Amino acid sequence: MTKSMNNQQPVFMESRRTFLKGTAYSVAGATLAAGAFKKIAETPAVAENSFTATPKTLSFYPPLEQWDSFTELDGHDWKRGGTLRNGVGSVDNPNGIKATEYMLVPLICSNCEAACGLTGWVDIGAYKQSKDPKDLKVRKYMGNPLHPASRGRNCAKGYAVQSQMYDPDRIPFPLKRAPGSKRGEGKWVRTTWEEAMQTIGKKMHDTLKSGDELSKKSIMYHVGRPNESGFGHRVLYSMGVDGHNSHSNVCSAGTRQGLTHWSGDDRPSPDWANSKLIFLQSSHAADAGHFFQQHAGFIADARKKGAKLVVMDPRMSNSAGMADLWVPIWPGTEAALYLYLVNRIVNEKDPKTGRDYIDHDFMKQWINWDVFIRDTEYLEFIVAQGYISKLPEGGSYEDFIKILREMYAPYTLEFAAKECRVDAATLSKLFDMFIEGGDKVTTYFWRAGTIGNRGGWMNVRAGVLALALRGCMRGDVGNVGCYGFHEIFINAKGDAATEAGKKPEKVDAWNELLFPPDFPLSTNEPSYLLPHLLADEAWQKKWADKGLNVPQKIAVYIPRMYNPVWINPDGFRWIEVLKREDKMELTFNLSPTWSETNWYCDYILPTGLAGERHDQHSEATKPARWLGFRQPVLRVALEKMGWKPTDPAKATLEAHMKAGLGEIWEEIEFWANMFVHYVDPDGSLGVKKHWASKEDPSRPVTIPEWYQAAFDHVHHLKAAASKNPKYANSKYPNYEMMRDMGAWLEEDNIFRPQERELKNENGVIESMEMKFDASTLTVEPNGVVKAKVAGSEEVKAMGLILGDKVVEGFKSSSRKMEFFASWMKEWKWPEYAIPIYPVTKEQREKMVHIVSQIHHDHMQKENDFALNPIFRLPYNIHTRSVNSKHLMEISQNHNPIWIAASDAKRLNIKRGDAIKVTITDTVSGLESGYFIAMAVPTEGILPGTLACSHHAGRWKLQNAIEIPGFKEKLGVMGMGAPLYEMTMDEKMGTLKPKQGIDAGLMERKNSWQFKEYNRDIDNVWWDGLSGSWQNAVAPAHPDPISGAHAWHQKVSIEAAGKEHKIGDIYVNYDNNMKVYQAWRDKLARPLDSTNTTRRPKELKRPVWALTDKAWSVNIRD
Amino acid sequence: MTIEDIENRTVLYGLISRLMMMEVDKTFLESIHRDEAILEMFPNYKAWSKHQELSMDMLKEKYYDVDFANLFLMHLVPYESFYTREDQMIESGGDNPVIALYNALDFRVELDKARVVSPDHIGVELEFMYLLNQALKKAYEAKDSEGIKEILEIQRGFLKDHLLEWAPLFLINMKKEAQTPLYHDGAELVLEFLLSDYEYIVKQINGYREN
Repeated sequence: MTKSMNNQQPVFMESRRTFLKGTAYSVAGATLAAGAFKKIAETPAVAENSFTATPKTLSFYPPLEQWDSFTELDGHDWKRGGTLRNGVGSVDNPNGIKATEYMLVPLICSNCEAACGLTGWVDIGAYKQSKDPKDLKVRKYMGNPLHPASRGRNCAKGYAVQSQMYDPDRIPFPLKRAPGSKRGEGKWVRTTWEEAMQTIGKKMHDTLKSGDELSKKSIMYHVGRPNESGFGHRVLYSMGVDGHNSHSNVCSAGTRQGLTHWSGDDRPSPDWANSKLIFLQSSHAADAGHFFQQHAGFIADARKKGAKLVVMDPRMSNSAGMADLWVPIWPGTEAALYLYLVNRIVNEKDPKTGRDYIDHDFMKQWINWDVFIRDTEYLEFIVAQGYISKLPEGGSYEDFIKILREMYAPYTLEFAAKECRVDAATLSKLFDMFIEGGDKVTTYFWRAGTIGNRGGWMNVRAGVLALALRGCMRGDVGNVGCYGFHEIFINAKGDAATEAGKKPEKVDAWNELLFPPDFPLSTNEPSYLLPHLLADEAWQKKWADKGLNVPQKIAVYIPRMYNPVWINPDGFRWIEVLKREDKMELTFNLSPTWSETNWYCDYILPTGLAGERHDQHSEATKPARWLGFRQPVLRVALEKMGWKPTDPAKATLEAHMKAGLGEIWEEIEFWANMFVHYVDPDGSLGVKKHWASKEDPSRPVTIPEWYQAAFDHVHHLKAAASKNPKYANSKYPNYEMMRDMGAWLEEDNIFRPQERELKNENGVIESMEMKFDASTLTVEPNGVVKAKVAGSEEVKAMGLILGDKVVEGFKSSSRKMEFFASWMKEWKWPEYAIPIYPVTKEQREKMVHIVSQIHHDHMQKENDFALNPIFRLPYNIHTRSVNSKHLMEISQNHNPIWIAASDAKRLNIKRGDAIKVTITDTVSGLESGYFIAMAVPTEGILPGTLACSHHAGRWKLQNAIEIPGFKEKLGVMGMGAPLYEMTMDEKMGTLKPKQGIDAGLMERKNSWQFKEYNRDIDNVWWDGLSGSWQNAVAPAHPDPISGAHAWHQKVSIEAAGKEHKIGDIYVNYDNNMKVYQAWRDKLARPLDSTNTTRRPKELKRPVWALTDKAWSVNIRD
Repeated sequence: MTIEDIENRTVLYGLISRLMMMEVDKTFLESIHRDEAILEMFPNYKAWSKHQELSMDMLKEKYYDVDFANLFLMHLVPYESFYTREDQMIESGGDNPVIALYNALDFRVELDKARVVSPDHIGVELEFMYLLNQALKKAYEAKDSEGIKEILEIQRGFLKDHLLEWAPLFLINMKKEAQTPLYHDGAELVLEFLLSDYEYIVKQINGYREN
C-alpha cells in the first residue's frame, strides 16, 4: 500500500531527504520522548471470566434472565487496559479490574409524562458480604430494553434520576411547620410519619364526618404531572369527595378542548414512525416536546425513511433548526394558516390527476356532515353570521362540500400571509409538502400554539379539519389516531384486592373550586385559578346567591409532588392564599424535595422519586397499548434477596429506612395506611373498606395484592403471567412478572380502531373499556348504537352502524368526528361550533373569544412585543429537576430572552444586556409589573415576538434550615435555586437576587447526606441567576371557552436601569386579580337559569363518574 | 550500521513521537532551535515570520496548541484502528493487535500519562519504535548480533504491519489540515522519515542475512 501510494503521490517524494548519512543530531532530542510506556516485569494471570475485551455493541443490556445478578466491570478501569491486562479483581487478584455485582430492577422514569423505561442498577455485591442494607446503593439508572416505546433509551432527565436520588438536599424525614410560627417563616421541626398521619387523619376524619355537601368539597388533592394512570383520583373519590385537582388544564386545555369537540378524545396519537410528513405546531421532537424521547425516536425513524419535517413556531426551536421547513408564524394565528390549507384542499384539484384533494371516503363515512347539513336553524345562523351567503340547495354530502368551498374561500394565500406574518412562498411550499404527504401526515397539537393563546383550542379545530380532509385522522398506518385507543389506565383498579371488592361509588358533589360556573366548558380543572376563587369572596357570594354551595375554604389541601406557587401564573396570589389559615386550614405536600410551595405548607412528607415508589403508568406514545411499572428499586432488591418487612403494608418505607435513603415513603402505601388506620379506623365513614385488604381486612392492602388485582384488567399480561412457569407457585404472578420486567406490550399495531367490530360475548359487549348489556341494544336514526352499561340502568352510546356491522366508532356522542359540535349551540357559543377564524379586523373584534390576546392588532408602540414563555428546555421539568446536580449543570445560562436581531438593532439592545420586560393586559389595559431578563439577539425568532422559557428562575428564601435537636442543617434546593429576598404586602410583590448557587453551596460544602455521591459540590460553578420568576408577574388569563390559561403575554421592553439586576421582579398582584376578573366578566358566558347541567355531557369530567344529581344545576337569575 | 545511525534514529523517533503525542512546550521548541540540523527538517517553520513578532509562549498559546487540538483531538483521528477497522471504531481493548504486540513484549502504555484514548495512537506507536531503538543500541553495544537481528525484524514488522499501513494516510491529511508550519513540516518529516527508515532497516536486515 505504501509503495503504490508513493507512486501516486510523487509530491511527497520530491523533497526526499536523507536522515542518517553525514548528520549527527544532538542527543537532547532523544530525551524528548514523552515516556508513555512503562515496562512491567510480570503480568498477573488472567483469570477465566465472562468479560469480552470490548463490548460488541453500545446498546449493552444483559438478558432478562441475568437481571437478578449481573456482574459488570467498573468503567474507570477500562483505561487500565481492560481485563486482558490485569484480570478481574478478586481477593486473590486485588489489582484486577473491579467488577460490580448488580441487580437490575426495572422502573419507569417520573421526570416527565412520557413514562420511559429505566433500570436501577443496584450494587448488591457489598450487601451480600456485609448483610448491611446500608451497603445497598443504586450506582446508575439506565434504560429498560424491554420497554416497547422507549426501547432502552432515555433523555438526560432519565439518567439524572440517580443524582436526584442522592441529592444532598433531599428531604430526609417528615417536616412540620414549627408550632407557633407562621406559614412561610421558615421554621421547621422534625416529625414522624405516625404523628403526621394522626394529625392529618383526624382533620380529614372530622371534615368527612358531617357528610354534608361542603364536606365533599373540602379536601383537595392537587397533582402536577401525575405520571400514573388513575390512582390519585381514587384517593379522593373513595372518600366521596370531589377534590381531585390537576395541572392538566394549565398545560394543555387548548388541545384537549379542540380535540374533544372533534372526537370526544382529548389527545392525538400519531404514528410518527410510518408517516411521510411530520407537521409540528410549536416546540416538539428534538425540543423535549410531549413524550419527548420516545416521540423524537419515532420521528427520527421516519426521517431515516425519508419523511419530511415542518415546524410551525415563531421561535426557531431545535426541531425547527433541523426541519425541512420552518414556518415562523405570529403566535395565535395558527388557525388562519390551517384554514388556508383547508381552502386550497377543498377548492383546488390535483393537477396531475385532475381529482379532488379531499379524501371523500373518509369524510363521508367518518365526519358528522349529516348532522350539520340537516340543521336548518344552524345553517340560517351561519348565513346571518356571514360565514356563508345562502342556504344549501339540499341535504347531501355534496351540498356539505359546497358549503366548505364557500365558507373557507376567504382564507387565501394573501390573507394567510398577512394574518400569520409568514411569507407567501413559505406558505405555498408548506401546502405542496402537505399534499405530498398524502394521508401520511402526522402532528401533535400541544404547547405554545394551543395553550399560549386565547382561542388556542380553535387552532386544533382548524388543524384537524385540514388533516381530516386528507384522510390523515383515520388512525391508520402513518397518520393520526386517538389517545384513548392506545393507553392502559388501571392504576386505580386494584378494587378486587380490597375489602369492598369493587370500585367506590359515584361522587355526589360538584366542587365549584374545580369546575367554576363561569367557565362551564373548561377542559380539566382550571386549577391555576384556585387562589383567585378562594380569595374572591364577592365571587363566592354571587354564586351562593344564585343557588350554588360554593366552598369558601379548604379543610385539607394536599399538593402532590407539585409546586403551584412557582409554576402557575400570579404566584404571589398563591402565596397569599397558602399563608391564610382561614382559607387553607391544613396543608401538606407529598414531596421528595424542597419547592417554593413547600415553604408555605404545614407538613412536607417525603414520598419517593422515580426509583422509590410504585405506579402503573401508560401513555399513548405509539399505535400500541403498553404499560410500565414504576418501582422502589431498593425495596425490590432487598425483598428479592430475602428481606422481609415488619409490616408488609409499609414495606417501602421500611426498606428505605433500612437502606439509609431516609424516611421516604410512597403514596399507595401511605394512603392505604391513612384511610385504614387514621381517617376511618372504625369504618364508619365507609372509606376504610376501599383500602383494607380483602385477605385481612384489619390491615391495609399491600402492593402485591393491589397490583395483582389491577393487572388482572390487562388480559394478555394476566394470561402470560399465569402461564409462566417461573411464577407457577406465586400467589401474585401478575405482580411478580411486572416486578421482573417493568414494561409490558399488551397490543401492538393498533390501526383504524374505530372500525373494530364489536363482539357479543355471552350477552356482554365491550366497547371503550366498558361493558354493555347486549340485550338492551338500540339503534338511533343516525346509526349510533346505544345500550345499558352492564349492571346498571345507565344508557350510553357504545358504537356505530357501519355497513352491516356494529363498530366501535370514535368517543364522541355521534361516534363520528364532529365537524359540527352541535352542543355548542345550547352552551351559548354557536358561532364557534365549527372550525372558523375571523378574516377582518372588524370580525376579530366581534370574535374576540378566539383571537389571541397578543394578536398583532395589539402591538401599537415600537417596543411592544408578543412574549412566548412556554417552550420546554430539554433538560428541565418544571419542579422536579431542581434537585439534580447533573441537570442543573447542563442547563445553566440557557434561558435568555430571545429577540430578533432586527428588533434589537432598532432598540439598541445588545447581547447580554439586561432588559426590563413589562407585562400589560390587552383586555383590561392594566399593567402587571415587570421582570428583568438577559437579551440575546438572534435571527431565530420572528420579529415582533420574544421568547423566554418559564422553566428557569427558581428561588429560595433561605440556604438551609436548622432543625431543633438535629445536628445537621438541611440544605434547601442547593443545586438549582439562588437565594432571593422577597417583599409582599397583599398588593405588591418583589423578588431580588441575593446570592448565587455557587456561593450558597460553598457555605455548606460539607453537606451531610450522601457524601459519596456529592464529593464534587465544591466544583459547582454556576450561580443560577440566568432566569426570572416571570410566572409571578404574569396574570391569569382564563380562556372563556376552554378555561385554559392563555400563557402568552403582551410586553413592552426597555433597557434595565442601574438599580436592576437580572432576576428582579416587581408585581402588582392586586392588578393581576383585576385582570383575571376582566377576562372572566368581559369574555366568559357563565351558567344561567337556562342550564340544567353543570357542563355539556359531551365534555366529560376526568376521570371519575359523578352522580346525575351532582351534574344537575338550577341557577337563580 | 553504525552507533551514530542508531543514535540519530533514536533522536528522530524521540522527537517525532513527542511532537505527535502532546502539545509542544518550551523545552521541545528550544531543542529544535538548538540543533541547526533538526531545524533544517522544518524549513517552513524555520522561515516563519511570526517568530519575530511573537514570543515562544504566545506562539504556543495562539497557534501551536490550537493547531494541535484541531489535528489530534477534533478533526482528525490519530489512531490506527480508526484507519484499519471496517467500522472505523477506535479499539482500545485487548482485541487491538497493536496492544497485543505491546503486551507480548511486556510494554504497557499509560494512557493517562500519554493523554490518549487508545495505545494505537500515532505518537505512542512512534515512541514504541523509539524504545525498540534503545534496545537496539544495547544489543549493538553488547555485540549481540542475534539480538540486533531480532530487534530489527520487530521494527521492520511494526513499520510494515502497522505504522506504514495507516500513518501515511493520517499524515497526508494532517499536512493538508495543518494551520501552522510546525505541524505542516512535522507531518512531512514523519512521513518521509518512516519511509526512509523502513528502507534503511530492510537494507540492514539484508546485510545481516548476507553475512
